[in-house]
Amino acid sequence: MGSRNARQYVLPIIAAVLAVVAAERAPAPEVYLSISKGFGEKIIVAVPLFEAEGAGTVGADDVRDVMSFDLGHSGYFSVVENTAFVDENEAADRATGEIDFAEWLALGAEVLVKGTMEAGVSEFSLEAEVYDLAQGQSIFARRYSGEAARWREAAHRLADDIVRRLTGEAGVATTSIAFVSNATGAKEIYVMDYDGENRRRITRDNTIATYPDWFPDGRRIVYTMYRGSRQELHAVNISTGETGVLTEFPGLNAFPAVSPRGNEMLAALSRDGNTEIYRLRADGTDPRRLTYGRSTESSPCWSPDGRRVAFVSDRSGTPQIYVMSAAGGRAERLTYQGGNNTSPDWSPNGDLVAFTSRVDGVYQICTVDVETREVVRLTTGGGSKEDPSWAPDGRHIVYSKRQGGKTDLYMLDILDLQPIRLTDGSGDYTSPSWSGRPEGA
Amino acid sequence: MRKFLVLALGVALVAGFALSLGGCASREEVVEEPIIEPEIQEETSALTGEDIPLTEQPEDIIYVETHQFEDIHFEFDKYAIRPVDEGVLSSVARWLEENDEIRLLIEGHCDERGTNEYNMALGEQRALSARRFLVSLGVDAARIGTISYGEERPLDPRSDEDAWAKNRRAHFVVSE
Repeated sequence: MGSRNARQYVLPIIAAVLAVVAAERAPAPEVYLSISKGFGEKIIVAVPLFEAEGAGTVGADDVRDVMSFDLGHSGYFSVVENTAFVDENEAADRATGEIDFAEWLALGAEVLVKGTMEAGVSEFSLEAEVYDLAQGQSIFARRYSGEAARWREAAHRLADDIVRRLTGEAGVATTSIAFVSNATGAKEIYVMDYDGENRRRITRDNTIATYPDWFPDGRRIVYTMYRGSRQELHAVNISTGETGVLTEFPGLNAFPAVSPRGNEMLAALSRDGNTEIYRLRADGTDPRRLTYGRSTESSPCWSPDGRRVAFVSDRSGTPQIYVMSAAGGRAERLTYQGGNNTSPDWSPNGDLVAFTSRVDGVYQICTVDVETREVVRLTTGGGSKEDPSWAPDGRHIVYSKRQGGKTDLYMLDILDLQPIRLTDGSGDYTSPSWSGRPEGA
Repeated sequence: MRKFLVLALGVALVAGFALSLGGCASREEVVEEPIIEPEIQEETSALTGEDIPLTEQPEDIIYVETHQFEDIHFEFDKYAIRPVDEGVLSSVARWLEENDEIRLLIEGHCDERGTNEYNMALGEQRALSARRFLVSLGVDAARIGTISYGEERPLDPRSDEDAWAKNRRAHFVVSE
């Protein structure tokens, strides 16, 4: 390991970091505008292996894998795939102690991310610097450090910082997805990083737990579970695993949807003798009925401004998506194509509602424009796709697909429609719910 | 002669008018209207009768299988009681009349087709539907609870019409 090279390399970075920290205290443009792209065009980024030190088990390949996934799926970047050439260039740079911008440009790259990492047994840190290759200059440098077990988070934060600095957009690399798995033999609530890694079980109810939905502070999840002969809504604290009962009305207690401000929730209850939408406080008290009539109303979701609700109703004779004020009252129908439109989720941008539509007998994910009612189909092919949930960027959606007796979770970018499988095909992964951004992100 | 001229003029005018109308129709563009389905309430898509609120059941209640009553079944995507099941419901009502301390729980179930969420709501509607029928036969509503399992607990795990028909059911359990 060329420690002399590392020192030669690290000192300029520390200097740059100090310089950047100092510079960041002065007013500086947040978005680096010299590399601006037209709609749909990607910034080409090269990610060489970071220089790695330390006795821990995390390697430079691991960090590069996370960075490449995050940047490549952000929707704004295209990562240079030829890692052999990338790593050759990097080796040459380390040998000379200088960045050969021309060689990087020759690979077709526009942006370069270089870094060092220290993977200790109990701590992890990485320092990275991002370069504009055409200008031959540094865009920014930053250091991330924390517990060794949270090394992925450091890489995810770096990726999101790169997205934000170069595009002005907020990425989703630090977000999570809650979902249901029957891996233990009982359906429980799990959480994973948005890329499918770091899967961990949150509930231990040993019954059927389903329909998870995040509180906006990211600390708790509300879900439906069965306790004896009752169906109830519970909340679970993700860090401690502690649970509490929120509702235990007779009959249905399903599809909890926490309001954008976190102080209220919607649910479908049948306490008054028919399945309808109710609005309650986030602690499960004070239920107010929002929908009436002889038909069935279910699957409510909030608009991002908390003023309206989208839900499913069969009042027309088939299940369709409707929109009404969050105070109840008259509902307007959103979907007119097809005889089965369910499972709405309202985009954080407010303009689209994603939903599941049965098209020629196959369940597909679609979006409907709330103003124009225009429907766009996002998925194709076989397999039953359901339960779409939007990422906080209003661009990515996670959903489940059942095929061949197994159900997996997939994510897609609504602008490129390439589904990415997030789970491992070993069982049934269902009912996904994409988190908000972690506090401070 | 004048009458004839007036008549001829009248006919000519009418004919001319008719021709011009025909001419307009053939020049008009066909405008596509979006198909807006009328707000119909099919009987099989709504619970018949008034809402009957559910009652809180005792906290410690335990329900057990009774093996006395067959499941009743439903058509795909529907929650109406089929006439062929009225006999089973009548015998449930009679038994409850004879055993007036006992409470009933109606489980609503669906087949695996359809989205998981919609099946949860559909299962509850099936249970409520059966409950309403029993109440119409004179059973005290406060004795009957409902629970939906959606597509979570199929009776037959296979994926064919036979299995699906079996799984679209309401199942009866009784208090200990």
